[in-house]
Amino acid sequence: MISDKVYIEIENAWLKFRIYKNRSPALKEAILSRFKPKPDIAEITEFDALKNINLSLRGGDRVGLVGLNGAGKSTLLKMIVGIYPPKYGNVHVRGKLTPLIELGTGFDAELSGRENIFLNGALLGRSYKQMKSLEQEIIDFSELGEFIDLPIKYYSSGMHGRLAFSIGTIVDPEILIVDEIFATGDAHFVNKATNRMKALFTNSQIVMLVSHDTQKIVDLCNRVLVLHKGEVINDGNPKEMVDFYLKEIVA
Amino acid sequence: MVLSQENSSNINASANLSAEELIAQNLIKPKSESFINFLKRSLFELSNLKFALTSFVVNSLRRRYRRSVLGFAWSLLNPLTTMVVMTTVFSLLFHNNPKEFGIYIFTGILPWSFLLDSITGGSLSLVDAEGFLKKVYIPKLFFPLVIVSTEAVNFIFSLSSLMFLALALGMHLSFSLLTLPLAIAILYAFNLGSALFLAISTVYFRDLTHITRQLLQAFFYLVPICYPLNVVPPKYLFLFKLNPFYYFINLFRIIICDGHFPQAKDWLIPSAIAVIVLFMGFSLLKKTESDIIFRL
Repeated sequence: MISDKVYIEIENAWLKFRIYKNRSPALKEAILSRFKPKPDIAEITEFDALKNINLSLRGGDRVGLVGLNGAGKSTLLKMIVGIYPPKYGNVHVRGKLTPLIELGTGFDAELSGRENIFLNGALLGRSYKQMKSLEQEIIDFSELGEFIDLPIKYYSSGMHGRLAFSIGTIVDPEILIVDEIFATGDAHFVNKATNRMKALFTNSQIVMLVSHDTQKIVDLCNRVLVLHKGEVINDGNPKEMVDFYLKEIVA
Repeated sequence: MVLSQENSSNINASANLSAEELIAQNLIKPKSESFINFLKRSLFELSNLKFALTSFVVNSLRRRYRRSVLGFAWSLLNPLTTMVVMTTVFSLLFHNNPKEFGIYIFTGILPWSFLLDSITGGSLSLVDAEGFLKKVYIPKLFFPLVIVSTEAVNFIFSLSSLMFLALALGMHLSFSLLTLPLAIAILYAFNLGSALFLAISTVYFRDLTHITRQLLQAFFYLVPICYPLNVVPPKYLFLFKLNPFYYFINLFRIIICDGHFPQAKDWLIPSAIAVIVLFMGFSLLKKTESDIIFRL
């Protein structure tokens, strides 16, 4: 059931990054700088990673984000997830959110695949009970079989990717945040994973997708935002927006 | 999809203004939150991560003893060897009865190791968690909490195993031991507050972790752990009582070594220190919470 509820609301959000020449001033320097006549201005530079973002997303929105490298696409997703709190303005998220930003975060190489299922699930905010009931489904989907009880440092990168994908996508979320997720593994698994992603896209209330594959964006989304230097410079119909992006910004 | 035409015109209108200028025009307001609401929100966020917390604690305990033949027995053996060395050296030095003195030393060493490991480990907990913090949303409090809880479990295990040893050495059981959980809780609160405060400070001043380590090393000798307080000349005694760590160690001494119920002031002083430190930790967290990620 797709509802008409507003799931994500962003009002006048700004995000500033600081760039340190000297990443963390040593205590000694911090004390010395108090006695210096003028502080080193060049030491820290601030830049606006996101400028005055206003966005309201309702159930049914399938939003694609396009933009050059460094335009702020992933940063915007990370702000919605809560990793980067906005310096000014507000971000409201109402609903169960599944970020597929970096799969396999928190994997512990020393632990077995099974133990990592629980650890990774826990980090996604799930309970032991919930993970217990999903455990078999995840193992089946990842097709790891008896390897599941081996420490994951012995896994091939394909096996690693399969496990991470299976844990991340096992539950249908309300809000799905996807940053360039491509399933890894053999052709058979990629095929299975693509179907799984399609199901997730259909079942989620809201999908936000970052991808450099503009064809994929046009196929999967019903609304596209064009980001440029931290600003949303255009917003609308996928085909038009992708054309705009390719003509005005890429060219 | 309806594109909010209004929104995009807004964006274009304000695009040339900086955030500071928009604040001046009251278009955007900086956020504010009361301390109580902040505490409530922090605890609520953590309650969603209960399972993650236990998994992290269990895994770090497992990792510590993984592949070692004796495994968890090391949590007993480590303080035991320290205790044997200290007892031998210092009972020769102070001509004390080694049996009694052994118990005296272990009731000092175990809480001290809990405190030391929580604080030194905790001070690096946020810096070390950069990889997590930049990939998933986890409250910052989570990482110091994992370290202190891991050390607490370790502490409880070593304490109970050494208690059996002490019984064999001729310590008599007393009802005062029933108050031990409260003493552990107070020390836990103190360690959490210190770990949280130092973890955040270390993000801003990385040298702090080394400074802390050196200071704690000095404090080891300033707290009566390996010597009895009666070797200190009376006129310097007040210096020892100015030391906050003294009161925590003292609490365990009274309960285990002396076998007395601690008096009201023996409870109140460490509790007050713990509450103050915890408050300092949370205040600093409230102030820096949304900035830490940009400083890692």
